[in-house]
Order: sequence, then C-alpha cells, then structure tokens
Amino acid sequence: MVVWLLSSISNPNHHNHFQSSTMSVPKAVAATIRLRVPAGAARPAPPVGPALGQYRLNLMAFCKDFNARTQKFKADTPMSVTITAYKDNTFDFTVKSPSVTWYLKKAAGIESGSTRPGHVTATTLSLRHVYEIAKVKQSDPYLQNMPLESISKSIIGTASSMGIKIVKDLD
Amino acid sequence: MASWHFLKHLTYTLGAHSTTVLSRRLIRSSSPALSISSSLTFLSKHRHKVSYHCPSHNNNIPIKFRIHTAASSSTALPDKASTPYLSVLIHCPKDNADVLSEALLCFGASSVTMDQNDACQTLDEICITSIYPQEEDINLSISHAFDSIGFKEKPRYEIKAIEEEDWIKRSQESFRPVEVTKGLWVVPEWSTPTDVQATNIILNPGHAFGTGEHASTKLCLLLLHGCIKGGEYILDYGTGSGILAIAALKFGAAFAVGIDVDSQAIESAYQNAALNNIGPDRMQLQLIASENSASLVGDWTSGVVQGENTREIQTVTGNNTYDVVIANILLNPLLENADQIISCAKPGAIIGLSGILSEQVHHILERYSPFLEGIEVSKMDDWACVSGRKSRNLDAC
Repeated sequence: MVVWLLSSISNPNHHNHFQSSTMSVPKAVAATIRLRVPAGAARPAPPVGPALGQYRLNLMAFCKDFNARTQKFKADTPMSVTITAYKDNTFDFTVKSPSVTWYLKKAAGIESGSTRPGHVTATTLSLRHVYEIAKVKQSDPYLQNMPLESISKSIIGTASSMGIKIVKDLD
Repeated sequence: MASWHFLKHLTYTLGAHSTTVLSRRLIRSSSPALSISSSLTFLSKHRHKVSYHCPSHNNNIPIKFRIHTAASSSTALPDKASTPYLSVLIHCPKDNADVLSEALLCFGASSVTMDQNDACQTLDEICITSIYPQEEDINLSISHAFDSIGFKEKPRYEIKAIEEEDWIKRSQESFRPVEVTKGLWVVPEWSTPTDVQATNIILNPGHAFGTGEHASTKLCLLLLHGCIKGGEYILDYGTGSGILAIAALKFGAAFAVGIDVDSQAIESAYQNAALNNIGPDRMQLQLIASENSASLVGDWTSGVVQGENTREIQTVTGNNTYDVVIANILLNPLLENADQIISCAKPGAIIGLSGILSEQVHHILERYSPFLEGIEVSKMDDWACVSGRKSRNLDAC
C-alpha cells in the first residue's frame, strides 16, 4: 500500500519549462544563456560553470534539476538548454532534445549528410527510425501537442534534405 | 598480518607512486577482509594520507580506509574546475541574434549569453557573449557560424581571456541559513546560527551537492528527522556534502557511512564532518568507483575514474548492516543500483530514495516495491522522496 503525503506547494509546471521560484509576477531578466549539456551529466564546470556562475545562479541546483529532468534521455545526449537568469539570481530553464539532424545522423551512423541531397543518397533509414525520433521530439516544449504524424513528416523532410532516404522497412 | 605492514609502508611511499600503479598494487595485495576503493586517481593531485580504521563494535562492517586530503584552501582547485576558457563579445544585428546564437553553439561555442544590460546595445545591434574552451579555434568557429546564417559582412568581435575563478564559490555567496523544519537549521560556515538552541548543521558544501536548500535534501532531512530514534547505523548513498550523514548523527544515530563516486564530494563531506565536530568514531567516508563515471569525465574532468570501473561497492558497504539507508541521487543510478542499495539494509530497515521528480516516482515504485513495505511518498515542489522498510521475508539479499 502506498501512502501519499503532500507537503508544500507545487509549482505550475509547463511541460519542460522549469521554474526555480513560485512567483508569478514578471521578473526583471538579467540575461538569456544558451548551452549544450549532455543529458544527466551537468557538472558545475565549463560550460555550465562560467556561463551561469557569472550571474550568481545556483549552479548545484541547476545541475541537480537538469540531470533529474534529462534522466529519460540516453546518457550524454547533447541537450540544448536555454536559461533565463533573473536579476534576483533566480532562473528558469527549458530543455530541448538535440536537433532532428543529430538524431538522423546518429541513427544512420554517419558524420555528415550527403554532399548532393536529392542526387546522392548518403544512407537509408526505416520508418521505424523516424517514429522513434518523433516520439523523442514530441517531449520537447512547443511540440507537445503536435500529432506524431506531423512530426514524422517533418523528420522525413529533414532527412531528404540531408540525402537520407526513408524506406518502409530495412532488410 | 602482512597486509597491515604493507599498508604502513604505503603511507610513507604514497607520494612517489603513480596512481594506476598504486591501485593495482593495492588490489593485488588485498585480502578478502579488506575493502578498498579502486578509484584513487585523484590522489596524485592532492597531498594525502591514507589511514585505516578498524571498528571494533560490529564484525559485519568490513575494515574501511578513510582517504582524506590535506586541508586545502579554496585556491587548491582540482583540474576539472579550472579548465581555462575564453570569452568573446560578438556584435550582431538584433534580428539575427537567435539564429546566430544557435549557429555559434553548433560551431564550437560552449555557451552563448545575451545580457539585457549590455553597454554595447544600440538600436540595431546586440552583443552576444560567447564562451569557448581554450583549444577551440575561435576565429574559424565564428566565421563558420556567420557564414552558415548567410551573413555577408565581416564579423566584429573582441576576445577576452577571463580570469579563472571559483564560480561555485561565487554562486554560494548567497547561501543563507535555512530552517528545514522547526528546530532544525542548515547554516553556512560563515554565518552564525539564528537559533543557538536548535539543531544546527554547519556546512561548507564546496564543490559538492547538499546545502539544505534543495527540496530533495529537505525531504530527506525530514525523513531522517522523523525516523531516527537513536543508536542507528546509517548509510548515506551519494553523500555529496555529507549533509544527510551529519544530520542523522545530530538526530542521534550512532554511526554514519557516506559514500560517493565524486572525490570532491568526499573531500567536502570530510570537512563538513569536522565543522560539526564529528570524528571518525562516528562517521566514515568512502570514495567508490562507478561504472558510469567514464561518461561523466567527458571533456572537462581529468580526475575521478578512468578505466577502472570495477564495482566494489558490495565489499565496501557490506550486506545487511545498516538500520537506515538514504540515497538522494538521480533516477537512473537508483534503478541501476537498486540491488545494492537494498542489500545494504537490514531487514526492517528504513530505505529513503530521493533526487527524483514526482513524475519519476512510479519507476522507483516499480523497481523497489517488491522489496519494501509500508511505502510512503512525500513531495515538495516537483520533487519526491520514496521511503519504506525492507521486507523481512526476502530470501537472498
């Protein structure tokens, strides 16, 4: 039997947009910081350290928060983080999964796309790959309400522009 | 025993050995009763002393080594925090700022910052501060970034070398005394306690996690506060600054062991134990190897573990010896190490798990509920703590 004890207030949690304070009054922004950080592996060292430390943000809290929220991604996946630092040293941040091109390259095991997309095929992937990537992307902010089909179409488009051919099944 | 003589010899000659040689010699010479951490790479970077302590009260606790560094001031930064970097101030038309930021990141920048108050802001332009690791060819990266967004003009930017500073220290200057619950405070080393009568945990977290401000730490402190009656043996799995182990002792526990995969955490915990007048007779700390630490090393760190990922935690912490096992880490390590965490606890012992988000609780429940009874979940903000007692009916643990 599980007993649930609720203590203290919970923050309004807008999908992947995370708040470090409970205020809803608009706060003065000091800076917007963008970083790439490997999932689950944020440390208070570069790039996190100098970028956030400069605005006296709580480095440890960010690392713990970021690492906890990126547990569902494969370790070391490069996540795009955008941090809004407020003048009172608090912060919010949003986390996005890597770009579709990154996922496609990884799935195909290639370093770069084709030099002549449309004419020379760099490699081939299956619909299953597309579906898996679409599922991951669906957890990104701003894509939460998009149907999987739309996201998949967009991924196929990107693949084509990279010279990656999508087939129904790989033999 | 011959091994004791070997160890005595070791303390005199430690400084001369390279660390890999050291660890191999230790492992080859160890007897089954001795438990040793194999991740000793950090020793080459600090002055150190290895002491051994044989607790006489309980035969089940294996003999442990307490590895501690000489007292170091804040200038003795380990390598991973003092990687040099360069800061570049880039002028950019306001309309292109977002696209350029993305491009800069793609082409080698560690971070890209847009400061609201930049003095160089004009009507059309904005300044972006970009940080690069020192080995990066900045001119090439910036030129690629500008090319990729179709920018025709020559990019304008200034490179500044930034003084290395302890940015963690800087961010912790705002660390204030925290009242976790009535009569329980966590007080930074440089402050005076607000209420001298209360239980005050004095802390200087340094480079480790655990100031008492985070919801997960508070949840664990509250759990310990509620369940410790006096005389218990505690295991703090992922001790960080040592805050939970220290708190448990202040609440009346008899003995606490703190383990962590991060050498800086062990160092910090050791200092905090001293700040709270807790000696080796009540608290011991152990650096352990982690299978996943290789992925944490990445580009920044040069310490901790590389290559020798043997999991010796089983021999380090023993089986069925602790009355309370508390682990405030992350979801994945909690799932991966579940067997070990559970096996460290006596039947009927309290197990507390945190560092997890509310949405992750069901994963923990799925993994741990076969082994726990009377499970409770407490929450604060987005964070949760799952606790229960180890079932007495388990066969082999």
